Amino acid sequence: MNMNSANISGKWLSTIVITACIAFPCFAAEWPGWRGPFRNGLTEDTGVPTQWSATENVLWRAPLPGVGIANPVVWNNKVIITASEGHDHGELHVVCFDRVTGEKQWHQRLWGTSPSLFYPHSGMASPSPVTDGERIFTFFGTGDVFCFDMDGALLWQRALSHEYGRFQNRFAASSSPLLFENRLILQCDHYGDSYLVALDPATGANLWKAERPEAWHSWSSPQIIAAADLHELIVSGSKKLDAYAPTSGEQLWTVNGLTQECIPTPVFAHGLLYAVSGPNGNHIAIRPGGRGDVTETHVVWKYRRGTSFVPSAIIIDDRYYLADDKGFARCWEIPSGKILWRQRLKGKYTASPVAADGKLFFVNETGTTLVLDATSRDYVELSRNDIDEDVLSSPAVSHACFFLRTSKHLVCIGNE
Amino acid sequence: MPAASSIIPALLPIVAVSICLVTATQAQSNDAERLAVIANTGPQGFGSLAAKEVRDELAKRSVELLPSLLAAMDTSNPVAANWYRTIYEEIVTREIHASGTQWPLDFMKEYVSDTNRQGRPRRLVLKLINQLEPEFESQWLTERLADPEFRNEAVALTLSLGDQALQSKDTKSATIFFRSAFANARDRSQVTQAAQRLTSVGEKADVNTQLGLVTDWWLTGPFDAPAKSGFETAFEPERSINLQATYEGQGGRSFGWIRHQTTDALGQMNLVNALGQTDEAVGYAWTEITVEQNREAELRCGADDCCLVWLNGKPVSTHEQWLNGTRFDRFINPIELQAGRNTILVKVCQGPQHRNPEVFNYWSLQLRLCDKDGRGISFQTALPEVVHD
Repeated sequence: MNMNSANISGKWLSTIVITACIAFPCFAAEWPGWRGPFRNGLTEDTGVPTQWSATENVLWRAPLPGVGIANPVVWNNKVIITASEGHDHGELHVVCFDRVTGEKQWHQRLWGTSPSLFYPHSGMASPSPVTDGERIFTFFGTGDVFCFDMDGALLWQRALSHEYGRFQNRFAASSSPLLFENRLILQCDHYGDSYLVALDPATGANLWKAERPEAWHSWSSPQIIAAADLHELIVSGSKKLDAYAPTSGEQLWTVNGLTQECIPTPVFAHGLLYAVSGPNGNHIAIRPGGRGDVTETHVVWKYRRGTSFVPSAIIIDDRYYLADDKGFARCWEIPSGKILWRQRLKGKYTASPVAADGKLFFVNETGTTLVLDATSRDYVELSRNDIDEDVLSSPAVSHACFFLRTSKHLVCIGNE
Repeated sequence: MPAASSIIPALLPIVAVSICLVTATQAQSNDAERLAVIANTGPQGFGSLAAKEVRDELAKRSVELLPSLLAAMDTSNPVAANWYRTIYEEIVTREIHASGTQWPLDFMKEYVSDTNRQGRPRRLVLKLINQLEPEFESQWLTERLADPEFRNEAVALTLSLGDQALQSKDTKSATIFFRSAFANARDRSQVTQAAQRLTSVGEKADVNTQLGLVTDWWLTGPFDAPAKSGFETAFEPERSINLQATYEGQGGRSFGWIRHQTTDALGQMNLVNALGQTDEAVGYAWTEITVEQNREAELRCGADDCCLVWLNGKPVSTHEQWLNGTRFDRFINPIELQAGRNTILVKVCQGPQHRNPEVFNYWSLQLRLCDKDGRGISFQTALPEVVHD
């Protein structure tokens, strides 16, 4: 393996957070959307517990009104989560809990416009909400986008399946929306007419819409990266990775080499973009930039083993970690591509890992959270914590608490 | 003449009633205007600002708003429906905990029973009625077997009543319940369940006919279609149907048309069994049916991998979707059948083998003709009867 050199910092998270802050405002304690403040599983939050059980260090536990695998979103004193249930899972829920007490602050019940096929554990609530602190944006598998103020008042709705065609998708639309420079960006890849669309967060109206005629169904979430002199919107799906201009929707470049069905969200660190798709796919590291098909010129690393269907990867300093769906985990040194360790983690995995305060958290489907030392280059296990309920949703880390969405509850774990 | 001082007190009640009536009429008029503001919401977030303003006003009202609100909720505009729902939820959540609320129960029962209304607000109202009169649903549901929204629940209840009768050794009653469930079921699993129950009490039930599955076909293939070229490539059967013709396919192999009647429980045609295991190929299925009169219907189909369907020579379903399992009712296409003979031609593309050789490369088709509720339409095959040795 031969990767282009990249400037790597050995200090915990510093380079990655600085890089990410170019693209995002930094909200140290908040978890505002899919995979947290930097959309990569990392946070600067500290004081997160490493030991808990179904009773120990559980600050509160709130029942959920339906199923879903959207991760919780945390902002100030609010924890927001989505769920679906009922006939064809067309009953949609957006619930806000008090972060400190777990009491329900508000609960909006809405109809999904056009339920599609769905996965029983996720229903129509796979996409994670996103907030800018003034408004909350939710997207559902039914193709509906809702915007609320922080007190739960509906501000606008878009019924995308009504406007652009029913989502044809066996797991329902699952891509999490992205907020970037006053644009709400949605990746809508399915068997019908696929597209990317950027909405005005204030009104819901289209700012731009880019057709994706070559894209079929995919459940990956878009990513934003700060490339050399501009931001690039990265979209994974249908055997390739595409980059778009986030301000206009103009397609910039394409790299081939992913599988047909993509779920993991690409991650960006040290000037390289890392994408994975599986099973039996590839890990690809790409140097962003360029125009047209840059497969031959910009792919700097490829690796075929240990690819995941659902979980996304995480990068901490110069280490790239991924646990595949069967729980086989690897840690690579980047950019060299050298494998630092391999380990069977026990259990199956749908959730994507998160990292905070020098710890790396992997949550398996039976609710066991494995905590590793994220400062070590070796596999160093700190603890295993059982919540005694199934977990498919990725966790959130915020305000020194670990938020787990189980099959039945939202659980806040903190040092008592 | 009576003094003015004696007339005025006598008129006061009339004036008061008149003022009340005018006020009530004005309130209703205002409600209608406000609800109409929400009805104007639509694509691109249009009308949201105005909708929120009137929503906030209307949500302060009492349950007396429910009849006009529920009438407005009976809309096909999904955005307006949700704005209305936020009003409904706020009023109901507030009033359900209040004492002495005069719920418009008669209106609600009429509303929930009206099959011309949208299903979702009806479900919402049923949920509220169940909170107010928990005994309502069980009896009401027994009369909903023909209700498009509540049919599945009614069929499930009927099956359950049949099972109870069977447990009580009352086979006659059980048979009546099962017949009713079978006749009214539209969901394929319920049709299958009801058929199994009928079979268990010695009655015949044909699932394929009930669902309108087309099971009798002429098949030909595999035509060679490398690199997923099959969807775009028109082979000879798309130009003319000649059941006596022979064609050249993969590896120079020659083949003709074969008659195939599937015995699958849900009418699925296994093309691997019928035409052979192959990759990157195209197969065709052709049949003729007759119906008694011109009629609208739905042609519902699914295939592994992609399929194109022509009815009487005109394309009615075109879906290029590789790695696509044959799922029941995957594609729903409105069609018009003509009285007498109708031809159906289906092209089924077979994709490449998965990179994992252990993953079986399925190749199949399922197609049915039904009404918009999913009940199979009455048709006869126009193909000559197969003579078995």
